[in-house]
Amino acid sequence: MAQYAEIVEIVAPAEAAVGSRVDITVKIKNKYASAIGIMVGGALEYGVTPWPGINFPDDTENVAGGVTHSFNGWFTMPNKRVTIHAYSYYYAGGSWYFDDEMTKIVSLVAVPASQFGSIEIVSYARR
Amino acid sequence: MGAVYLPSQYGLLLVPLSNVQVKAGDKLRITCRYSHLGKAETQTLYAAIGNSGWAGFDEVLHASKNISVPEDSAWDYHEEYVDISITTAISAGFYDLYAKIGGAIPKVISPTLHDVVEVLAEIPDSEFGEITINSYAKV
Repeated sequence: MAQYAEIVEIVAPAEAAVGSRVDITVKIKNKYASAIGIMVGGALEYGVTPWPGINFPDDTENVAGGVTHSFNGWFTMPNKRVTIHAYSYYYAGGSWYFDDEMTKIVSLVAVPASQFGSIEIVSYARR
Repeated sequence: MGAVYLPSQYGLLLVPLSNVQVKAGDKLRITCRYSHLGKAETQTLYAAIGNSGWAGFDEVLHASKNISVPEDSAWDYHEEYVDISITTAISAGFYDLYAKIGGAIPKVISPTLHDVVEVLAEIPDSEFGEITINSYAKV
């Protein structure tokens, strides 16, 4: 149960192709009555140690009391199903304090059967 | 000179294509770009020189080779080429080109490029017809 910085939702696709960029949004609500500093963090669990991080270009924000802020991040889809771990922190007394965690699974898109869309001759030259 | 219609924001655009001149003994390298989605596989890239008509494409010379198509989790483009050996089986004139991927039942067929290959007549062996004296003078 979060004390101040409650993660209310992780927005992410249900599945993604290996090597593709996966954009996510972590929504964190300030449960405190006035503004506080909130930080987001994240890691990917898929069988490697340590867990790789998630890129959040803007990972801190002063959030007004009762307001939910969306933190945008991204990662590159690995070659297997991944569990997103999102973390929230609040700022108090010169330090960041861990407050909440939420997880979401992103599955790997199955590679479809081979298919061809088009072919064109782009050059022809005497050798 | 051949030409091909390409789609554009103004509708179909007629793009003139330059001819390539070949003669027996040459090779014609045909480079193709294709789009692919899905698992990796080996396929046949096939190209032919001939004449396109109402009954289809009358092939005169052709060539093929196996290509390794990589796995593509999203639509992607790749390029490959195939060389057609020019032999005396083809006579002088202008010819069309097309390419395809697959065997008897093609996976995909290219648009035909019309009159882009000019096969030159063979230059015959040296021979002499006649000789005459054009002048005679003291030097």
